[in-house]
Amino acid sequence: MNDVPFAMTGGVVRREGRAVLDGVDLRVAAGDVVALLGPNGAGKSTLVKALLGLLPLAAGRTEIYGTPPAKFRDWRRVGYVPQRLPMGGGVPATVREVVASGRVARRSRWRPADRTEDRAAVDRALDAVGLADRARDSAHLLSGGQQQRVLIARALAGEPDAFVLDEPTAGVDAGSQTALAKVLAELVAGGRTVVLVAHELGPLAPLVTRTVRLEHGRVAAEETA
Amino acid sequence: MEMFQLDFMRIAFAMAVLIGLTAPVIGTFVVQRKMSLLGDGIGHIALTGIGLGLVTGSSPVLAALVVSVLGAVAIEALRARSRSGADVALAVLFYGGLAGGVVLTGREGGQVSLQSYLFGSISSVTATDLYIVAGLSAAVLLILAIFGRELFLLCQDEDLARAAGLPVRFLSVLIAATAAVTVVISMRAIGLLLVSALMIVPVAAAQQVARGFLGTMLTAMAAGVLSAVTGLAGSYEYDLAPGPSIVLLALAVFLAAVGTGTVLRRRRTASAAARDARAARRVDVRDVSMDAEPEVLGG
Repeated sequence: MNDVPFAMTGGVVRREGRAVLDGVDLRVAAGDVVALLGPNGAGKSTLVKALLGLLPLAAGRTEIYGTPPAKFRDWRRVGYVPQRLPMGGGVPATVREVVASGRVARRSRWRPADRTEDRAAVDRALDAVGLADRARDSAHLLSGGQQQRVLIARALAGEPDAFVLDEPTAGVDAGSQTALAKVLAELVAGGRTVVLVAHELGPLAPLVTRTVRLEHGRVAAEETA
Repeated sequence: MEMFQLDFMRIAFAMAVLIGLTAPVIGTFVVQRKMSLLGDGIGHIALTGIGLGLVTGSSPVLAALVVSVLGAVAIEALRARSRSGADVALAVLFYGGLAGGVVLTGREGGQVSLQSYLFGSISSVTATDLYIVAGLSAAVLLILAIFGRELFLLCQDEDLARAAGLPVRFLSVLIAATAAVTVVISMRAIGLLLVSALMIVPVAAAQQVARGFLGTMLTAMAAGVLSAVTGLAGSYEYDLAPGPSIVLLALAVFLAAVGTGTVLRRRRTASAAARDARAARRVDVRDVSMDAEPEVLGG
């Protein structure tokens, strides 16, 4: 265990024989706000999934707080925001149900959860993204930008130390982008670590401390703000 | 009503209520995991268990329970190993289970008992059967109450479950095994070939009208009990096969739900749009610099 949220050295991910990630070194220190930029197919989403251990490395190694993902146990410290709201087999879920699922990593199965604390955390998260009045609505009937805010609220509800956001601004309306920037600003002020994938930074630009540009699965440029 | 004065019908109705409650609960997770045909496959495998029970002179229900839980674990193992090869491997497992079951039951019980296992015979259920089913139903509901929140996340998305540190492999096996137990619970009443229908069809109906996951589950339980009880009563009244009658009623509930759901969704989308428009106006008044135009253009 150490206090470096993410550290990858020589990370390689292969898909159908092709190296989608081709020897990436990336170190994200506590409190960093790192933006992963680059064209489509550059390996941005692959990189964040590999950082979380969701995709296996063909070579190299990666650590979450000093531990390889397979051995990492303290998942409550990490909040993952996927690219899209998962639909599964089409069973609806309310906004509150999706957001509350972000608390799962905090729960111990055999000890009854503190429901008041859970509820308060979910309420705070819904307030932060401005969706408190939509809590009882079906999440999949919301607009794309609102769905993205639901996913961010889900991660917020878990109160993690490090956030990993896969394209939080893609296809998101201006109102939701501003709401997202506001939430991120609060996280950064609170000393949280953020890794986010983006095509362009827009209103997030002032918050980012470092940009990493990927091309063809390699780090093409790195810039500290 | 005269049918409630008959002992075997009272037992049959109690059984119908239990199955109608239990099957849609696990069904909600199974549908969300896009494994609607899982129960069907397990039903095929369970027939081999029944055959083994008959041949060895042990309890067919117990043998079916063991074989179908093992089958469910095998299905999950195959799925986890490879996505492409799993499909054919599953088919092999299903047909092997069905053929093996028909051969084994044919040796012992003959065509009559085969027919009753394939399509159910709820009126031949004894009080002992009822107690077994009640115990197994309680076990299924308990498992889902303990693991429900984790299973919800797993069925939503495996990556999210992994990134929350959940034991994905264990939970996947747990869903399949619980579905297998449900198949065994329902087989006496509905029959192995139709058993999966009561797990899936009430859920398909409920997801047309409900807003959330828990809402879908509760609505599906209501739809399950409604179709099981009315199907059984109808089959007694008009002298029809109970299992298929129950399934046909569940399908009727599904069709009604599709109609209702279309109207409900239209109304909800309209009221949500109106609320968003009001919210946007409020924002405009407070902060003129926030431009709402990209939202319209971006669609």
